[in-house]
Amino acid sequence: MSATPCAVVGVGQTHHKSRRLDVSFGGLVREAVFRALEDAHMTLADVEAVILGKAPDLFEGVMKPELYLSDALGAVGKPMFRVHTAGSVGGTTAIVAASHVHAGKHRTVLAVAFEKQSEGNAQFALGSGRGASLGAGGAFAPFIRAYIRRSGAPEHIGWKVAVKDRLNALKNPYAHLRIEDISIEKVKASPMMWEPIRFLESCPSSDGACAVVLTDEAGGKAAAADGRPPAWILGASSRSEPSSFPGRDPVRPAAAVQCAADVYAQAGITDPRHQVDMAELYVPFSWYEPIWLEAFGFAEEREGWRLVDDGTTELGGSLPINASGGVLSSNPIGASGLLRFAEAANQVRGAAGEHQVEGAQVAVGMAYGANNQYFSTWVVGSSLSPFAG
Amino acid sequence: MTRFAESTITFPYKRSLGPVVGAFMTALTDKRILGIRNGKDILVPPMEWDPTTGAELAPDFVEVGPVGTVESWTWVPTPSVQHPLQHAFAFALIRLDGATTPLLHAVDGGSSERMVEGLRVAPRWRGTRVGRIDDIICFVMGEVPETDGGDTGAAQEPVQRMDYHASITYRNPVPAATDRAVVASRNRRLLGLRCPRCERVYAGGKGYCPVDAVELGPECEVDLPTVGTITNFAIVTPVSYPGQTETEPFVRAFVLLDGTDVVIGYSPVIELPADEVRVGQRVAAVWASPAEEHDQEGGMGGAWGSLLGWMPNGEPDIDDPDLVNRIF
Repeated sequence: MSATPCAVVGVGQTHHKSRRLDVSFGGLVREAVFRALEDAHMTLADVEAVILGKAPDLFEGVMKPELYLSDALGAVGKPMFRVHTAGSVGGTTAIVAASHVHAGKHRTVLAVAFEKQSEGNAQFALGSGRGASLGAGGAFAPFIRAYIRRSGAPEHIGWKVAVKDRLNALKNPYAHLRIEDISIEKVKASPMMWEPIRFLESCPSSDGACAVVLTDEAGGKAAAADGRPPAWILGASSRSEPSSFPGRDPVRPAAAVQCAADVYAQAGITDPRHQVDMAELYVPFSWYEPIWLEAFGFAEEREGWRLVDDGTTELGGSLPINASGGVLSSNPIGASGLLRFAEAANQVRGAAGEHQVEGAQVAVGMAYGANNQYFSTWVVGSSLSPFAG
Repeated sequence: MTRFAESTITFPYKRSLGPVVGAFMTALTDKRILGIRNGKDILVPPMEWDPTTGAELAPDFVEVGPVGTVESWTWVPTPSVQHPLQHAFAFALIRLDGATTPLLHAVDGGSSERMVEGLRVAPRWRGTRVGRIDDIICFVMGEVPETDGGDTGAAQEPVQRMDYHASITYRNPVPAATDRAVVASRNRRLLGLRCPRCERVYAGGKGYCPVDAVELGPECEVDLPTVGTITNFAIVTPVSYPGQTETEPFVRAFVLLDGTDVVIGYSPVIELPADEVRVGQRVAAVWASPAEEHDQEGGMGGAWGSLLGWMPNGEPDIDDPDLVNRIF
């Protein structure tokens, strides 16, 4: 990228749970923020601007939570922005924060995203406050049916993703769902919620937050010299498209394909399947893994499910997807996108702990929102030029 | 003249208060008001962090008031139902004795002429207190706190959560295209609007083309067929939430209208059980009878007007593997 380089030097998140009744909004986001600052060896005083993302205000019923939280986030007297891109918002929050550094406007920027689903009800909020809400599962089930029929994928693919991500979650101390006895049989036997989506093929509702500290080239190099490897942002892109018009394909949305093409061009990636070591894709329902594997260029059209079937996307496979357990294991909606970006960064920093993908040098974080309409993606690397030589 | 449609959204949110505001609310049930020490300051209501630097504050609580001094005020001559008092009152910044920051609350001042900076005020407590800021109904003039009605005492358990019943009523302008579609629906006509640039046709009163970003006026109107084929569907297992209207699994189908490129999305189906809906099924529009007087609230809602949904028309299914992809 021609802009000033930007590095992730700190990542923090909460232990995601159904209900964090013990903390306020401020207390919840501060858990993630102070973990990220500690990871970055920084304090709030080092932060020059704060970018906050969360789902629409109807989820918790707090208008303008970014203003309400400005003192909790140490943003008094500093620029503070809110990002709105539905479910992709956490990813877009990271991109907006990075753009302030890339542009040379600020040296160090804090990206924060959260959701406290226990204060409201996601089905209510997704249904615009009316009865007969489709919920996310009802909205996405037709897309999944179309994917299954056009690809000819066998039905066990969905079950397999559901099991894989929950097994990965057992290696992630921050993950919400910890289903020790998860199995294909258990997923298969779980209730059908939005045919063809079963209960255990669906994400949970979580309270949680994530924070990422981004800084400039000098800051990234200083961290590296101090033995704390940063994640360098090699490309970042957002794209969107209208919700409905004749000819729109929600299974392979034009906005997703364009977002992928843009981010790979920035990063110098021509063969994502082999140049990317792992990806954190936004998969709230299991079938979204093969859908996004295809739209984001990791597999040919109608072939993504084969990477699930042959174990390629498992933690020990050659292209692990959602080593953290993903959205299927933790879903604080607003934070879910930032978690994807943060987990990808931690992988190339070698800081992912028990779910570390060995030798990961290039990783993708991706989030989507609304009716498969909004896309945000970044590519991070352990160095600024991972493909040189 | 633009017509406006009024809508109300309500929801009983549950706020988690956290350790500091929770302690403040718990003390209110005991008719005590807590501040927190922040260096030389005593912040009221107490905060978890220094409001300037964001630094964490130790839980060093200090009881303040309950009597205080008005530092500033504004008169509310005609309160709404959401105001703390239903007659004219003042919102005031009240510095409680012992505090260094003012608390915003209502003062039942009787008349704006009696409000002055430096006025001494005391809380009027609710007899039954639950741990909310309105456990103090308002402040009254003088040095003597009051309690309204019988005092049921302090909370037995620490207050951890707070009910927050949100309600908002708003008015949205109704686009002319919506009104034209509703009127047509009363005559069992399904109105479409054809984009003059890309030729795509939109139903449901969508008065613009999202691809070309052009407005679609009456000159773009076309009549659409009212028979079609189900391309895809969702069977929704309803979960319970305040305002939920459904208790049984319900279907929302996508219907491709015959001889067109138009899909009517998320449509209710009629006389078609959830376990019988399938891709390729032939359906026809079902309309409300004039006697049913369906309007904005009828059937599919909004610009669909009298269109209630779709019902099998008895024709054999269409076998086309590409149909399922026609969601939009």
